[in-house]
Amino acid sequence: MTAIVDIKNVTKIYGKKGEKQFQALKGINFDVAPGEFVGIMGASGSGKTTLLNILSTLDQPTAGQVTINNQEVTQLKGDQLADFRANEIGFIFQDFNLLENLTARENIGLPLALQNVNAKKIDQLVQTIAQRLSITEILDNYPTEISGGQKQRVAAARALVHEPAILFGDEPTGALDSKSARDLLETMDDLNKNDQVSILLVTHDPFSASYCQRILFIKDGVIGQSLERGQKSRPDFYQEILTTLGTFEQ
Amino acid sequence: MLRKLALTGIKSRLKDYIVLFSGLTIASAIFYMFEALATNKNFIEHNTTVGSALIIFQFGSVLLAIITLVYILYANSFLMTMRQKDYATYMMLGAKSRKIGELIVSETIVIGTLATLIGIVVGTALTYGVGMLLVARIDATVHSFQPFYLPAAIITLIFFLILFIFAGLVNRHQLLKKPILSLLHVDDTPTQIKYRPVVWLIEAIIGVALLGVGYWAMASLTKLNILAIPIALVTIVAGSFLVFNALTIWVLAILQKSKLAKKGLNGFTMAQLKFRVHDYTRLLSMVSILFALALGAITVGMGYYNQIPLMTEHSGIAYDTVVHDPNQKELREIRAMDVSQQANYAYKTANKTIYFVKNDFDKKPLLRVKQQHNMSLAAVEYEKITSDQIMSKTDKSGLQTLQELLLANQRNDQVQLVSQSQFDQLAQPAHHLHTVQVKNFRTDLPRIKAVYNSQVAKHPEIKEDFSNKYGFYQVLKATFSGLEFMGFFLGIAFLAMLASCLMFKILSGASSDRIRYRMLDKIGTRQSMLRGAINKEVGILFLLPGVLGVIHVLFGLQLFKVLMVDPYYQIWIPFAIFIVLYAVYYVITTKLYQSIVLKKE
Ligand SMILES: Nc1ncnc2c1ncn2[C@@H]1O[C@H](COP(=O)(O)OP(=O)(O)OP(=O)(O)O)[C@@H](O)[C@H]1O
Ligand SMILES: [Mg+2]
Repeated sequence: MTAIVDIKNVTKIYGKKGEKQFQALKGINFDVAPGEFVGIMGASGSGKTTLLNILSTLDQPTAGQVTINNQEVTQLKGDQLADFRANEIGFIFQDFNLLENLTARENIGLPLALQNVNAKKIDQLVQTIAQRLSITEILDNYPTEISGGQKQRVAAARALVHEPAILFGDEPTGALDSKSARDLLETMDDLNKNDQVSILLVTHDPFSASYCQRILFIKDGVIGQSLERGQKSRPDFYQEILTTLGTFEQ
Repeated sequence: MLRKLALTGIKSRLKDYIVLFSGLTIASAIFYMFEALATNKNFIEHNTTVGSALIIFQFGSVLLAIITLVYILYANSFLMTMRQKDYATYMMLGAKSRKIGELIVSETIVIGTLATLIGIVVGTALTYGVGMLLVARIDATVHSFQPFYLPAAIITLIFFLILFIFAGLVNRHQLLKKPILSLLHVDDTPTQIKYRPVVWLIEAIIGVALLGVGYWAMASLTKLNILAIPIALVTIVAGSFLVFNALTIWVLAILQKSKLAKKGLNGFTMAQLKFRVHDYTRLLSMVSILFALALGAITVGMGYYNQIPLMTEHSGIAYDTVVHDPNQKELREIRAMDVSQQANYAYKTANKTIYFVKNDFDKKPLLRVKQQHNMSLAAVEYEKITSDQIMSKTDKSGLQTLQELLLANQRNDQVQLVSQSQFDQLAQPAHHLHTVQVKNFRTDLPRIKAVYNSQVAKHPEIKEDFSNKYGFYQVLKATFSGLEFMGFFLGIAFLAMLASCLMFKILSGASSDRIRYRMLDKIGTRQSMLRGAINKEVGILFLLPGVLGVIHVLFGLQLFKVLMVDPYYQIWIPFAIFIVLYAVYYVITTKLYQSIVLKKE
């Protein structure tokens, strides 16, 4: 099976030629198989967000190729890029990024509306995903009227409603309390196992990372090490992550 | 140190500052342009015979000052949305609030004063340009018109300086009084509105009813007399407010529940608009009313001017041109006209008596306009005056009609109608009185003018004769071109100020919209769609008060029914000018808004 995400020799240099330049990514290579749940860990400033922005087509790499669902995204431009994001990619951000002037229902339906799905179908799909994420009760509330955990579920619903090829998360649990964080992670795990949603999660939280099947450690713009969960239980994997981090960060 | 920080703050937001600065420059330029006319008593007195013109201008001045005040407050809040996070951060880092206060006041005043000085220069150019344009259009000389008028410049400078000192103090007060935390989180204000359909429905009905009463009052000026104006003012102001507060939000809420909301960014745009309209209710109603006043001023000004041909037609003067002893050139001009009637009366003068041929008047009776009671557009009707009426001993009006056609120095002479043979026996040379009626005074104007000028060269006294149609036409033109000039200035100044208010209010909301548009971009919305959404959103915010303003004007013109033959005559011209100017503002606002909101990091 071909990989859902394939990235080859990706480098990123910030700053124009002649000015002060900074190389944030120094040749990154890895892939994500369909239905895989991959985590990327690293200290602050190691290049996680930079990498995710490139993967999610929000930013262009200085060199290298990114292929998502058999489409080389580094070749896309303008509207093609926007359409690609709208069709193939789902996002969850640390700060939710919901539109606070729309209800949860309208927020979730937005990606479908952008693709001109008809109104009836939108209602149907929103209802289905809301049930899946247990947020049917708060669908007609505005983001200011629901809790942080619920907000992140709404964001997840919005990221998944159009059935993207992959779900990206940048510290999705970063703004949540531990109970809500655990709920969200359980849900993601469930989506991954039962609905075969491919997930790529960026985090520096070992607890979040312990839900992944594979973890890539990034340091100063290069991937230094990786860890497979295999058949290990989640708490065991958590311990392994902690010890790896201890040695890796040195 | 703090000063340096503040300067780097300005540098990093240079584009926003350019927007602010040019906005202030335009505001002061327009204020100056208006004052250059309003404070120039010589100009006003020279250019209109209407005694109330000075009052109109002073009233306009006050109104413009109020709009300018509102405008400065909006522009200022735009400045504050740019700055307050920076200042709050300095304060959090321990900068003394007294120092920050000084900084804010001085920043506001420096920017304001610079903008005003440049504004006066721009204003002078603007005054010159608009003045020349108008003079060319109305083809008349405008007296005592001075593009640079020192008292106006001084008034503008002082007025703006006071405004900026005031604005600076308001800013300082706001920054120092609010808790730092709320300054840091200015963007995070909730933006949804509770769904209250019953309240909205009631408010909307009352609003529409109030507008109805206002419009009715304006149309019933003759019944209500002067009372119509205060009634209309109160009801229309309140009605506009309610219509924006309830009707538009209600319609938007209904639309949001419809299928349309689930197409592309429509739902997002509706939510944005609902919040915006709610937040802007006062501004939108003010804009709609002042829009109406501005458009009204231009329409009435131009209206009076456009009335001239109509008024000329209804002047009670029967003949379009009356020619004494036409020469070859004059006859050629007459032949070129689209003549509906013409007659040639021969006469001879002897011993202070003027002899006409009686039979001439029986073949071609004189024409006189039938008296009409009030101004109306009904076609002018003529009565025929035959020789019997001219010679009547009891009714002298027939004779008078004939005398009015003669030259001034002939009017005291006796008039005798004689038979052709008696006429032929008179030894004196024969003269000719040639009367012409054309089908359309306006289309034959150039030829009528040529004949008039050639006649004036021979008989200068015709110039003083208002019973000559072309002469009358010129008097009207002189009077009303002044009015048009003023209406135009008043209207343009108002419109520019209003549209700028709207522009800044919209732009000061842009920084908080940036986050929303960036999010939409992230989830894969095409740039063209984002732009489209902005065009729509800003467009509707411009359109709503514009449309209501136009409706106000259409009804408001009823007030002028007693003063003009037809206040709606050629109404599309001022409307077109206005719409073009307003559209220019719209385009500028969307472009600026897009550059703020869709800015790539
Ligand atoms: N726009 C930019 N211009 C210049 N340098 C940048 C830019 N964005 C990021 N960097 C630099 O690139 C490096 C990687 O940044 P990145 O945001 O990817 O880190 P991160 O791993 O996401 O950190 P954190 O965990 O704190 O979010 C950092 O050293 C940062 O200073
Ligand atoms: Mg990051």
